[in-house]
Formats: sequence, structure tokens, C-alpha cells
Amino acid sequence: MSEQVIKKELWDAIPKESKDKEILSRPSMTYWQDAWRRLKKNTLSMIGLAFIIFMVLTAIIGPYVIEHDYSTQQLTLANIPPRIDIYKVDDATYFYMHSEYKLFQVTADGELLDKIKETQNNMAERNRIYNIGGKEVVLDYKYGAMKAEDNPEGIKYKLLIDGEEAKVADRVQNKSYLFGTDALGRDMLSRVIYGARISLLIAFIATVVNFFIGVLYGGISGYFGGQVDNIMMRIVDIINVIPLLLYVILLSVIIGSGLKSIIIALGSVYWVGMARIVRGQVLSLKEQEYVLSARTLGASSMRIMIRHLIPNAMGPIIVSMTMMIPSAIFTEAFLSFIGLGVNAPLASWGTLANDALGGLRSYPYQLFYPSLAISLTMLAFNFLGDGLRDALDPRLRK
Amino acid sequence: MVVTLLVIITITFVMMHAIPGGPFTREKQLPDAVLAALNAKYHLDDPLWKQYVDYVKGVLSFNLGPSFQRAGVTVNQLIKEGFPATLKIGLTSVLVIIVVGIPLGIVSALKQNKWQDGLVMFIATLGVTIPSFVMATGIIYIFSAKFNVLPSNGLTSWKHMIGPVIALSGFSLSFVARLTRSSMLEVLQQDYIRTARAKGLSNNKVIYKHALKNALIPVVTYLGPMIATLLTGSFVIEKVFAIPGMGKHFVESVGNRDYTVLMGITIFYALFLIVMVLLVDILYSFIDPRIKMED
Repeated sequence: MSEQVIKKELWDAIPKESKDKEILSRPSMTYWQDAWRRLKKNTLSMIGLAFIIFMVLTAIIGPYVIEHDYSTQQLTLANIPPRIDIYKVDDATYFYMHSEYKLFQVTADGELLDKIKETQNNMAERNRIYNIGGKEVVLDYKYGAMKAEDNPEGIKYKLLIDGEEAKVADRVQNKSYLFGTDALGRDMLSRVIYGARISLLIAFIATVVNFFIGVLYGGISGYFGGQVDNIMMRIVDIINVIPLLLYVILLSVIIGSGLKSIIIALGSVYWVGMARIVRGQVLSLKEQEYVLSARTLGASSMRIMIRHLIPNAMGPIIVSMTMMIPSAIFTEAFLSFIGLGVNAPLASWGTLANDALGGLRSYPYQLFYPSLAISLTMLAFNFLGDGLRDALDPRLRK
Repeated sequence: MVVTLLVIITITFVMMHAIPGGPFTREKQLPDAVLAALNAKYHLDDPLWKQYVDYVKGVLSFNLGPSFQRAGVTVNQLIKEGFPATLKIGLTSVLVIIVVGIPLGIVSALKQNKWQDGLVMFIATLGVTIPSFVMATGIIYIFSAKFNVLPSNGLTSWKHMIGPVIALSGFSLSFVARLTRSSMLEVLQQDYIRTARAKGLSNNKVIYKHALKNALIPVVTYLGPMIATLLTGSFVIEKVFAIPGMGKHFVESVGNRDYTVLMGITIFYALFLIVMVLLVDILYSFIDPRIKMED
């Protein structure tokens, strides 16, 4: 057995750095900071969040920036698609022919200038003669009325420039109306942006209304418990069985269609889910010590609820709010689609989709853009909601 | 259940009478004598409580009253006429959801984080986020207008069913697939699954006998709300595909403010839904013996 030697250095005072090891390596984070940190790691959620911010900004600023107004009708410019086929007359002169046999003068890169007035309109022979840039353009549309055996290739019309058959020179983006125009010649881009305004506004207000009713109802029910809770929850049970959308429809029929009635209808019905979540949270939170200590200090029930219980239940509430917004957008679109939407000339995404339905075969782009806007927004809110749930509700995390 | 039904009837009745103006208020004022005769014919001159009692009695004896906008047509007739088509599409959709949605969820859970999982989840996410009317019009545009392989309106052959059923089941199918996946993943981590594997059961037996049974419980819970989603979804689908179903009558009566039809169909839907939810509850207690029916 060797003798234990205690080295001399061991008696020295420990260096300062090792004392620092006792200090927490990370600053302590609040619940919200921690949630934000977790949310930032979730790429999909951040994309969703970025898209939502982009959409909200577009809805707020957009109408002031774009050149066309959402409600100005220009019947001569109706139903012009976002991509147009242009014909070349000479190097400086191009024109576009609409599927309703209307000719428009355009620039080479797709800017719409003006409708061209025909110089001669021979209804009997089914042709029209135009004078474009000094050349004679003949639009011969007699083929459409021909019998199949006379017209085996199924051509509908012929365009002749100075006697020569014209070919499509190019397919360009419509620069004047990026998303095209609708059946009344209104700019689709500004209508979609304006629709975002209405749709998001309805969704946010309805969600905030639901938030207040739901939190109040659920909070009272959970906090007081016992008989109060029993009766209040029976009422919720009954409401829950009723197909809510039917009642939203009935309500909007009774109040009349319009922005206000949609908000009232959505706000008065969809708080049930929120009330349940809040009640569940409050039921478990009210047994915590800090509630007891607050009560011992003489805080009133109202104060305990607003200052202590609801802030602590905020995580699940926010998650369910993010999930509620897309369902409100969805419901609004649904109502608009069956004819209970906002009144013209206002437009929401749902009314835009509904308006486009009639001309679907000829002008599918009119349905495409509002549908795309709805779908992308729903997707963004879903991604954000999923991410928030993972970040705010650690129990649900996988 | 009876209480719920009574509440529903009362709410709809109150709503019906909260509408400003009677059902015969027109732009052109009707002569007083005609108005009085109409009111007497539909018993609208009775005191309100009597109207209410009569209405409740009517509903309990499955008589939902006449339509105010279409002379000589009763709400019962409209329901009888429209319900078969709605039911046909609805039932097919339920079948498709169960037969396609659950297996998709299982595949996705078993191949977690592989390409199959990614594909299924991608489709399911799209299905949840694309509104049904967008899907319906998209199907019409692509398959009817562009390629002309599916008929775009009516309901006369099996080909007519394809579009509406896809559009109607899209949301719920995706939801069921997601639900099955997540609950399957949860169940597969349970101890009894490890036990089952440890005692040497075949993989199939572990999955289909032990895991699936438990994983399906949340899916069964969703069946009730799903029926509600399908019912209301059918309004839009029937409108887009021009199917002569009950949803079409409902949407039409929204358009021409035919209040009795609106109320009648609402009550009918509500009743249908309550019965369905009850059935699901009973089914639930069979599947999960831990849940006992109360009282």
C-alpha cells in the first residue's frame, strides 16, 4: 500500500473560472420565450407564419398600391385572361383577340391598350374588318356556324392580315391585369386582394368574438364548478349536437346577408369548442397553490380568473384560436358559396369562387386565383397551428 | 336526446318567428282578404303558443308542414324526393373514407418517415386545406371540361358518383388518415405491443389484432362529427354537380327564403345527426368496454 500524498497544489484556492460552473449556462427563459424558441425550429410553421404575415400585409396595404380599383367595372374589358395570345401586325403593332371575338390593341410585352373598333361589320357574311396600323385585318368567323362535313378540322375562325392568314406570334402575360378580369371587367388581382381583406377580417373578428365568449363561459363554468358547471356544460352538450353550420345558415338567412351578419352568425355559434378547452384548463389550474394563495390574500374571483387562471391557460387557447381562423375562413367561403356572402361589389374569396362558377369552362382562371388564395391561407394556418401546438402544449408533443 | 330535439325545435321555431315580416310579405302588397285567407289556411292567425304546440306535434308525427313558396308541396315531399340521392352519396363517401382513409393511416404509421408516409401526409394535408367546393369545381374542370371522362351533372350512373364522392369525402378522408396515423403511432409504443412481439406473435397479428383495435378508438369518436361534415358538405357538392338531393333543396330555399322548408330540413338533419351520434356512442361502448353506458 502506497502512502497517500496530498499534493501541495490541492490546497490552493480554486480558480475563478470553475466557480462560474455553478452559474446556469443558459439564461432562464419564460414560457413564451421557450415556446418561441421551439416554434422557430419548426420550418413549416415559420413558412406558414411568414405567409400569413405576407397575406395580412397584402390585405392591408395592397388596395392602396395596385393601380386598379376592386369595384370599377369596364364591360369592354370583361373576361380577359391573365395570359393572352397576341398577333403581330408590324414591329410596333400587336393585337390580342378575345375568345368572344373582340380585338384589343396590345404592346409586345402584353400591356393592354384599347379595344379596336371595327371599320366594317358584315353580319350576314360573318366577318368583321378592322384597320390596325394601316393594315386591313379580317376576322372571319363563319367557320363556327358551318356543318361538321364542311369544316373537317373544326376551326372556328380565321384571322387575315392583308389577305395573309395570321399566326399567334406569342403568348404573353397580361401586364395590365396580372390575374385577368372578371365577368364585369373588374381587375381580378385587386378583387382577390380585397377578398383577402374581407375574408381575413371576418375570420379574425369572429375568432376574437369566439375567444371572449368562450373564455368567459368556460372560465365561469370551470371556476365555479358544481351545479353551475353541470348546467352550463349540459347546455354546451346540447349545442354541440346541433349541426352548427345549419344554424349559421339559418342565422344569416334571418339577419340578412352581409359582412355584419356573417360575423354575428359565426361568432354566436362557434365558441362552444373554446368554452370546453378553457373549462378543462381552469378545472385543473384552480387546484394549484397560487390560486389558493391569491384567494388567501383576498383576491376576488374575477381577479383570480383574469389575472391568474386565464393567462396560465393561454397556450391551449392560442392553439385553438389559430385552428379557428382557418375554419372561420372556410365557413365564410362556404356561406358565400351558397349565396349568403357579402353583398356586391364587396368581394370575399368565397363570393369570388361562387361568381366564377358560371363561366368555369371558358374562364377557369377566375376560379383558380381565389381558390389558390383560400387553400394557401388554410395551409399556412394549419402549419402554424401544428407548430404552435407542439411549442405551447408540451403534453401533446411527440 | 328528446330534450335536445325539443331545444332544436324551439330554437328553429323562435328563429322562424323572429324574421321581420310574415312569409307572405311581398314587394307588391297582397289584398287584405287574400292575406287573411292565406294566414287562416296555414294557421298563422292562431296565437303563437298554439302554433308552437302544433308545430311540435307535427314534428313528432313526422309532419313538417307545407312549403310557403311552392304551392301544394310539403316539406315531407321535398325530403322524400331529395334524401335518397343525398343518402346515396353520403353512404358511399362514408364507405370510401373508411376503406381508404384507415388503411392509408396505417401504412403511413408503419412506414413512419419513409416516402410512403410523406406521400400520404402530403395528400392528407392537401385534403384538409382545400375547401370542398374548390375540389368539386376542380374535378369538374379537369375531368369533365378538359378531358371529358366524367359527367359533370346529375346522378344517373356510377360514373356520376365518382366526382361528388371524391369531393365530399376529401376532407374527412384526410382527417381520418391523419387521425389513424397518429393514434397508431401512439399505440405502437405501448408496452402491450412489446409484450405481444416478445411472445413471438407474427407482425401481422400484432398490428391488426392488437394495435389496430386500440388505435381505431379515436377514429370512431370522429365518426359523429364526420357525419355532420358530410351532411353540410353535401349542400355545396350537390349545388356544384347539380344533383337533385336534399342539399339542393336547402340551398334553393336559402335563395328564395322558403322558411318552412329551411326549418323543416334543419330539424330533419338535426334529428338524423342525433340518431347517428347515438349509434356511434353505442358502437363506441362495444368497441371499448372500458366505457360503460351511463344510466
